[in-house]
Amino acid sequence: MRGSRVIAALQRAWQRFSRLFLNSLSLRTVALSVGLTGVAIILVGGYLSLSIGSDLFTTRKDQVLADSARATVAAQAALDSADVQDEQDLNPLILALRTAVNSASISRMASVQRLPGQPPALQAPPDFYDEALAGGVVSDNLVRLVAQGEDPQYWQSVTLTGADGQPHPGIIVGTRLEFPLAGSYGLFLGYDLSETEQTLGSVQRTLALGGASLVLLVALVAWIVVRFVVRPLTIAADTSKRIAAGEGDVRMPKQRDEVFDTLAGSFNEMADSLQNRIRELAELSLVQQRFVSDVSHELRTPLTTIRLAGDVLYRSREGFDPTSARTAELLHTQIGRFEELLTDLLEISRYDAGSVTLEREPTNLVRLAEEEVQSMRALAERSGSEIVVHAEGGYFAADVDPRRVRRILGNLLGNAIEHGEGKPIVVTVDSNELAVAISVRDYGMGMNESDTARVFDRFWRADPSRRRTIGGTGLGLAISLEDALAHEGALEVWSAPGRGSCFRLTLPRNAGEPYESSPLPLPPLDAGASEPQGVAG
Amino acid sequence: MSSRILVVDDDQALSEMLGIVLQSEGFLPSFCPDGSQAVDAFRSEAPDLVLLDLMLPGVDGIEICRRIRQFSGTPIIMLTARSDTSDVVAGLEVGADDYVVKPFDPKELVARIRTRLRPPTPESGERVQIGDLVLDVAAHEVRRGSQRINLTPLEFSLLLTLASRPNQVFTREMLLEKVWGYQYKSDTRLVNVHVQRLRAKIEADPDNPSIVTTVRGVGYRAGDGAGVGVA
Repeated sequence: MRGSRVIAALQRAWQRFSRLFLNSLSLRTVALSVGLTGVAIILVGGYLSLSIGSDLFTTRKDQVLADSARATVAAQAALDSADVQDEQDLNPLILALRTAVNSASISRMASVQRLPGQPPALQAPPDFYDEALAGGVVSDNLVRLVAQGEDPQYWQSVTLTGADGQPHPGIIVGTRLEFPLAGSYGLFLGYDLSETEQTLGSVQRTLALGGASLVLLVALVAWIVVRFVVRPLTIAADTSKRIAAGEGDVRMPKQRDEVFDTLAGSFNEMADSLQNRIRELAELSLVQQRFVSDVSHELRTPLTTIRLAGDVLYRSREGFDPTSARTAELLHTQIGRFEELLTDLLEISRYDAGSVTLEREPTNLVRLAEEEVQSMRALAERSGSEIVVHAEGGYFAADVDPRRVRRILGNLLGNAIEHGEGKPIVVTVDSNELAVAISVRDYGMGMNESDTARVFDRFWRADPSRRRTIGGTGLGLAISLEDALAHEGALEVWSAPGRGSCFRLTLPRNAGEPYESSPLPLPPLDAGASEPQGVAG
Repeated sequence: MSSRILVVDDDQALSEMLGIVLQSEGFLPSFCPDGSQAVDAFRSEAPDLVLLDLMLPGVDGIEICRRIRQFSGTPIIMLTARSDTSDVVAGLEVGADDYVVKPFDPKELVARIRTRLRPPTPESGERVQIGDLVLDVAAHEVRRGSQRINLTPLEFSLLLTLASRPNQVFTREMLLEKVWGYQYKSDTRLVNVHVQRLRAKIEADPDNPSIVTTVRGVGYRAGDGAGVGVA
């Protein structure tokens, strides 16, 4: 269990690292520099270490061979000068031999053994060993080579057990001695190489330390260089980010680099032209807004006069001849229509100009819905529809612009009455933690999918040939949608032919606090029904 | 006696048409096409009500309204081309009683005028007490002790409506209906702005009102639930 967790953690760490690696030019450059330098240092360091090691060994070996040769000469001289009469005199000879070797050689590890391949001699002095060379340290192969005696010296690398009981590297050099009466003996001298090894170790440590420092230095240099080279890029990225965030006045500074300064120059030019363009557009938008506002005023004053005049004519139409009376009637209704259209057009152009501000106040949407339904009731009754309000939630003060919500609801109710075919209309209000919703459900003719998708389009009518009873400008739902969006809410529609339609308005309870889901379902729960069933919800 | 109405509008055709409509409703209209002469015209005509266009050459409607309010509480109805710009709120804040948006329905305009000219009808008694204020309904006067507080007829009507049913919470829509005569259309800014103006005149500390208090999410009521009575 723990193992798999560790593996998983390692995998995550690796993934994080590789992601970082793949996404950072600086990291890649530094890693590459360090890697290549590391390889070079390992190669050079390895070669240096090997060659120094071999030099040290050769030097030491030469010393050792010279020492051994000296000792052999001294030993042979001691043997030759001895007065050996018979085999009885051989034993003291060994002692003399040892003395000679000890005084001539630095080695304190010696062994003297009778070489094989000679006839046995009973009185021959026995082999002797210093403790360090006891127990087969001198290999049979070396002994055999000395016995063959083609060269004066033979040597062999061995592991010696030092005085401290630890294994030490060493060399054993074998030479040949001629004993009077007793035949050929081998003189084997052991030399401890641990000092040489220590020297080598210290050299290697120095090399390794130097290499590691060099790698670190290279990493540091690479990092600094990369930072230096990448800095203009960072500045470029930073500058464009700030411009994107709306700081239009930010420009790239010169970096005294031909390539970068060209980039900076064209970037700054682009930023300048962008800023000018934005300024132009802002001015244009201001002009547009002022124009709309002026048109509004200029059109409305004469329209007011026309309307008052039309109304005077309309009220006195009973005294007119039939043609003039009808003319006065037409004038009256068309002035009304013109006025509505003007109002809606100005409203939508205000949205287009982005000059709409909400006037939020704490509003009880249940009461608002009931009041709006009440004011539409007469109209609904004329087309035979009954309006039912179900308020399951929403009995609190939501922070909305009541005039706009009322307008949305008025539009939705007007539509429902218009298309409801005299069947009941159900208005539902509900809320959740963050949102409040109102839905208006009719059970009329409904719309197919492509019509439903266009229902919020300006001046769009589901069926242009249909006679309109309530009027409306064709902008009502477009404005309602804008009203909902201005609240950071939503106005959505579900519709099915023959089953009716359901419009759902969802608004956040408090300004600036987005909601997650609407309190009311869409399509409605009774989407399949063509009549309201009991208490719909 | 017919009510005299001063129409301040620079559009001659509209002024003339308004004159025709007002005359046919039994009012006596007079006209002033120039903003800079409006205050003088007001002084010389002494109208019962002013119809004031907001956009005028010379001095604009908001300034005229402010100047008239400095010495008179005569009802002022603004004629405005736009309904949701700052103009409306600015006009209300300097003391205009009501506004109609061009192009308006003449019936609507006449209804607005009649509401403003009609004296408020008290629901109870001749004197109403609210907090430390006494309202003399017949004299249209409000006193704190011996000190008389100048209210416009609209402000008086608003205060009387609230005070005659102490502690009842009035929604903004109810106030719009009772004080402004609106049946359906409602712009609650009318109520909000005039409650602010009223508080500035009658409250000891307008930022911390005790006579006209806000019931959050519902509306307003007179008194904070204590020390309120009808004399």
